[in-house]
Amino acid sequence: MSLAAVMPPEVAAPPEVGLRPVISFHGVSKIYPNGCEAVRDVDLAIHQGDFCFVVGASGSGKTTLVRLLIREEVATTGRIFVDGQETTRMLRRRLPKLRRKFGIVFQDYKLLPKLTVAQNVAFALQVTRPGQRHLKEKVEETLWIVGLEDKLNTFPDQLSGGEQQRVAIARALVHRPRIFLADEPTGNLDPDTSWGIVQLLLQINHRGTTVVMATHNREIVDLCRRRVIAIDSGRVVRDEEEGGYLREGEATI
Amino acid sequence: MTYLRGLLASVRFAMVAAGQNFTRNLAVSLAGVFTMGLIMLLVGGTLLLTHTVDAILNQQEVQADEIHIYLQDSLSMRTIADYEMRFAQDPRVNGVSFTSKDQAVIAGQQRGLSLAPAIAILGSNPLPASIDLHVRDLTDLTQLNNVAKSLPVVDISSGSATDYNPDVIPRLQTVITWTVWIGAVLSIVLAVISLVIIMNTIRTAVYIRRTEIEIMKLVGASDWFVRWPFILEGVFAGVLAAALGATVVALAYRFVLVQANARVYLGISFDGAFLTAMVGLLIVFGAVLGGFGSFLGVRRFLHA
Repeated sequence: MSLAAVMPPEVAAPPEVGLRPVISFHGVSKIYPNGCEAVRDVDLAIHQGDFCFVVGASGSGKTTLVRLLIREEVATTGRIFVDGQETTRMLRRRLPKLRRKFGIVFQDYKLLPKLTVAQNVAFALQVTRPGQRHLKEKVEETLWIVGLEDKLNTFPDQLSGGEQQRVAIARALVHRPRIFLADEPTGNLDPDTSWGIVQLLLQINHRGTTVVMATHNREIVDLCRRRVIAIDSGRVVRDEEEGGYLREGEATI
Repeated sequence: MTYLRGLLASVRFAMVAAGQNFTRNLAVSLAGVFTMGLIMLLVGGTLLLTHTVDAILNQQEVQADEIHIYLQDSLSMRTIADYEMRFAQDPRVNGVSFTSKDQAVIAGQQRGLSLAPAIAILGSNPLPASIDLHVRDLTDLTQLNNVAKSLPVVDISSGSATDYNPDVIPRLQTVITWTVWIGAVLSIVLAVISLVIIMNTIRTAVYIRRTEIEIMKLVGASDWFVRWPFILEGVFAGVLAAALGATVVALAYRFVLVQANARVYLGISFDGAFLTAMVGLLIVFGAVLGGFGSFLGVRRFLHA
């Protein structure tokens, strides 16, 4: 007698929503029109609440992976699911809704120089949810999370690099995204400041947000001992829990 | 309520951003507005010119069903009445009237001819009296003209017994057709040029705001939210240019008409209704061109 026959149906097919990945790639490849194969046959699953590093040398395909995720790029083959929705065949007009599930920061902070810190953060809500109530409170609360509650009326060029990245993080966080993407967020920062930024991302993860961070900062990855997805020439060459920047005994990747 | 709040906030955002676009980019914006204003001036000028030529020609056509038969000075009233009667019985004739020498002077003065000096020099009135016929059908004019010329009572001192000019009607029609065609083609070419100017003005505005647009797309603003400020800026620039062009055309129209009427009789007066309609049309035209030009200008960037 099979197992399914003796178990009640709801147990045989458990509705384990928490186990469904929030991001999944199924055989995804991206070939640019010039023939460059940036991502090759990638299979991935990232669950709600995960914190993972995507590591690899410059040009290995990290950024393309991030761009595929937010559908800045369209996969040549394969399927990508975000929050249960397939994004590879998504209509253009549905993209804004997809993007709102993400909070994204980059190596260059992409702040608007003519707006103050608070205005930069508020901008994200003004353009996605015009007329949002309690805008000021939400902005101040988010700036408090990133530790810039005393810099509300400062302009970006009066801030240090680390502080500017914190503003960018606050802007990415203010609409409470499900997934936080950071593409080389510490690329322009010194080691101490970088560590501060990573701790902030860990804190955000601790509140339940999934965090994906593409980086080639070896110290940080080795210190955190979190999930590491290593990419080389567009392929996932390693995917381990509590991994380091390099495989045991490996000199370079 | 929440929807309305969101809508108002969006409108406010778009208007503020459009204003910023225009002022941050003032030199290019103004250059665009002035160039487009000049084009609107040409379009408006072409429209008015076509309309005025049309009005003059229409009036000529109205007058064209009339033929004046000039009479010798020595005729008695009885003879004249006799001829009037004969023409009135002709089935081709719609109406007959008589213009005396003195009435001819008054009619000439109404058309702006100053005859007093000529009368003073000659010592007598040089204009002949005339029998004026209105024909039922313009094609009968030639026959009636031949009849009139053969009468023994006509005055041929002006070189012709009547004022009949067989070429005038087809010529007028050709002129009307050509002015309309040239006006239409010129307006279309100018409209396309305006569109290109607006597109480039908006592209500059988009370039200045590229980081902002990038962030807007990244955080998930809708395409229309990104687009509206630029469309509004385009509409604003288009309306401004049209208003500029229309004002100059209206002033010039008035000035030229007053000056022209003071010199020669054109038989046309200031057409306020047409001018109002034309200004309205230009402004709508400017708004549509501006909006559409912006849409095209932003499109390529949004889809990149």
